[in-house]
Amino acid sequence: MFRQPHTYALPAAVVLLVAATFFIGNDFYLKVMFMTGVFYIAAAGFNVLVGYAGQKSLGHAGLYAAGAYTAALLTAKLGWNPWIAFVAAGAVAGLCGIVIALPSLRVRGPSLAMVTIGFGIVVEKIVTEWSDVFAGQAGIHGVAPLSLGAAPFGMREWVLFVVALGLATHLLMRSLLHGKYGRAFLAVHTAEVAAESVGVSVYRFKVLAFIVSAVFCGFAGALVAQQNQYINSDFINFGLSIFFLLLVLFGGGGSIYGPLLGAIVLTLVDAFLARWPGLQHFVYGALLLFALYVMPDGLAGAVRAAGRKLFPKLHEKEPIPTAVAEWQLQRSEQLPKEAPLLEAKGLYKAYGGVVPTNDVSIAVKTGHVHSLIGPNGAGKTTLLNILSGIVPPDRGSTAFNGVDITELKANEICALGIGRTFQNLKLFTDMTVLDNVLVGLHPHLDVGFWPCMLGLPLARRQEREARAEALRILAFLGLLDKANDIAGDLPYGVQRRLELARALATHPKLLLLDEPAAGLNPQETHELIGVIARIRDKGITVLLIEHHMDLVMAVSDHVFVLDYGAKIAEGTPAQVQANPRVIAAYLGEETAETGVVSPLSAVA
Amino acid sequence: MEALLQAVLSGLAIGGIYALVALGFNITYNTTKTLNFGQGEFLVAGAFIAVATVLLLSGKGYRGVLQPEDVTVFRYLVGFVAAVVVLGALGVLLYYTAVRPFVGAVGLAWVMSTIGFGIIVQATALGVWGPAPLAMPSPLGNDVIRFGSAGILPQEILIFVVAVVVMVALDFTLRRTKIGKAVRAVAHNKGAAALMGINVPMIVILAFVVSSCLAGLGGLLVAPITTASVFMGLVLALKAFSAAIIGGLDNPRGCILGGFLLGLIESLIGLWHAELREISIFVLIIVVLVFKPEGLLGRRIVEKV
Repeated sequence: MFRQPHTYALPAAVVLLVAATFFIGNDFYLKVMFMTGVFYIAAAGFNVLVGYAGQKSLGHAGLYAAGAYTAALLTAKLGWNPWIAFVAAGAVAGLCGIVIALPSLRVRGPSLAMVTIGFGIVVEKIVTEWSDVFAGQAGIHGVAPLSLGAAPFGMREWVLFVVALGLATHLLMRSLLHGKYGRAFLAVHTAEVAAESVGVSVYRFKVLAFIVSAVFCGFAGALVAQQNQYINSDFINFGLSIFFLLLVLFGGGGSIYGPLLGAIVLTLVDAFLARWPGLQHFVYGALLLFALYVMPDGLAGAVRAAGRKLFPKLHEKEPIPTAVAEWQLQRSEQLPKEAPLLEAKGLYKAYGGVVPTNDVSIAVKTGHVHSLIGPNGAGKTTLLNILSGIVPPDRGSTAFNGVDITELKANEICALGIGRTFQNLKLFTDMTVLDNVLVGLHPHLDVGFWPCMLGLPLARRQEREARAEALRILAFLGLLDKANDIAGDLPYGVQRRLELARALATHPKLLLLDEPAAGLNPQETHELIGVIARIRDKGITVLLIEHHMDLVMAVSDHVFVLDYGAKIAEGTPAQVQANPRVIAAYLGEETAETGVVSPLSAVA
Repeated sequence: MEALLQAVLSGLAIGGIYALVALGFNITYNTTKTLNFGQGEFLVAGAFIAVATVLLLSGKGYRGVLQPEDVTVFRYLVGFVAAVVVLGALGVLLYYTAVRPFVGAVGLAWVMSTIGFGIIVQATALGVWGPAPLAMPSPLGNDVIRFGSAGILPQEILIFVVAVVVMVALDFTLRRTKIGKAVRAVAHNKGAAALMGINVPMIVILAFVVSSCLAGLGGLLVAPITTASVFMGLVLALKAFSAAIIGGLDNPRGCILGGFLLGLIESLIGLWHAELREISIFVLIIVVLVFKPEGLLGRRIVEKV
């Protein structure tokens, strides 16, 4: 009970708010409460996009306009029922969210800012200039308010309505973001390539984040239009887009309570300073300028940090069991040994004049450990990137377990059963160790969007099962005691092992390891040999790139050698070691002109 | 036909303003990967400082009304110097308060902080001069110069000439001088530049000073055409930003190309349907970015895995 403050704080807050509406007779104060609710609803949705998926939009005023004008036109011009118009406003805004999401997916950084700014301005100009439909500055009068029976909402009903809607929003966001969707959004935020490699479709989750934020922004717009019973083009401007972003960033992006804090404080500041518009501008400017400097994680972050100091008990994480069952893949996921698993034919990739992969063909057999070696710049990582779908080949084909995967995206290839790690670690650094592994389990959590958003028992049960399995995987790699640590804070060697755990969580049939021993000390490297053998014994086929020859020779059943993008040899470790072309590639060759033997080969 | 020529001429003039401001975005973006989202307000500040200086020189107090005979070339030049000095100082202040705390940090905190800085600048201007626009007659008079049947204002020619001169000078400095080489080195790799003995913080501050001055210059040049208004900055800066993005934010020549291109397109669309100008420009930008996210002359960044 003590660990779950929302179970008593939330009902208390709602009772308090409802009671307040009956004591406050002043319409101005009620209006302030109403606007706080409206901004909260918009900010809560926007938080999914900005705080979780990490996509900054400077054009959400356009989506607010989509909602407001939909409600206005449908009721004032077409005489629709206000409730249906309200729902339609959310839907239309959601569609506009798709319109803004599609171009936004192709760009990042300042260009993303530009695309969203452009969208906001286009909408602003449309409602200003196209006066036949949107009535420009004159505005649309006679927007029908929501009503109960025949009686339209008064100010008190409006407040009660946004309290109810705000509560619903909070609960929906809570169940959506504390689970596989929240993790997937954060994964897309921190490391897109890594998210793809564990089966999270970056494309799908970015579009989804845009849609969620758009729908809630549309509802906010409809609420304002229907409460005022009027809307004009002055409501829609670049400043409003900035204000939405400020709500989330000032309140605390990536926190469930951030948008709430942001909406309360900023709406109050707004109402309080409305009498002195000059001062109001200064305060906004100063807030934008200094707030993120003083509180990098927003108000919510500052409150959390203070709370951790004052009430450490409130912040204890769910305890980690000391012993868990051994991790096992399901029998149905295991393939017959010796069967051909992966067959790449004639893969070719060129960057300008550099050809890191030149007509490479390899075949991988189930149940064995394969190594890919070669001097620096031989094209090993590029080949791994092609196999895992991160880089498309120019020519050639790859078949995996009987399926042609040449054209598939990385997340689809992962779902078919190829997991991978990265040479330069790509962990979700801000998440806990446990959450990193849970993201890896993403492709195996088949519960859909709505059960997650509504917090249905089905979704909660699957979440519990996933947690249990993630702990088993951590135990398998000896990371159980680190489960609640933040991934980015771990020592390097442990981070490497965590990446391995995350890749195992995708239930790979084939595991691709890109220099798993890089940066490890001799002790850790030695342990890794045992870990790889245990992974193989679980029935998982391994293909690894490595420079530590002790490790390669100790664990491999079969070795491929690349040089200058081409495969120059393959065979058992002993065969490869004896191959003159391999020796030449590593140590240089006796040349006809000089006849001098390189000192290195003399040593070898 | 003459309408077309007319549109091209005024498009080149306004394009010069976009190009100047876009170049300012490029300089800070290359050196710090940030840019001033409040640049529009810096434009406003440049225009108002210049107007106030000319007003003071003509003995009318800083809030008076300028008549065409008050604006001599000399006074305009003094206004220019005043604007550059004040804007340069603002650039330094901007760097220390809004940019330096966030350089290299994840997320876009600097977007918010620079917008905040701009809002404070705007609120100050609003407090001093009020919301009404200030007239700024051109020092070159208002007699239209005729090219066949098309006419052009002397100020428009001035804008074009100044813009081209400044750009050529900057381009030369960046490519042919020691300090330009230092700027390019910092843009490429701060750490390596510092190891080679380049004073990186100095170069970065210089970038913000130049960027702010370019915005101020833009404001000063555009004021005689649009009148100086506290609210004129946002749209101008957004278009300059679009120009930079379209041309390629990391390429100075791309930014210049983008600026003139945007000015021309805007002006030509204005011939056809004046009210569709802004809508079509921003739709066009979105479409261009979808097909060429790095801009026309920008460098495509390949993420190493």
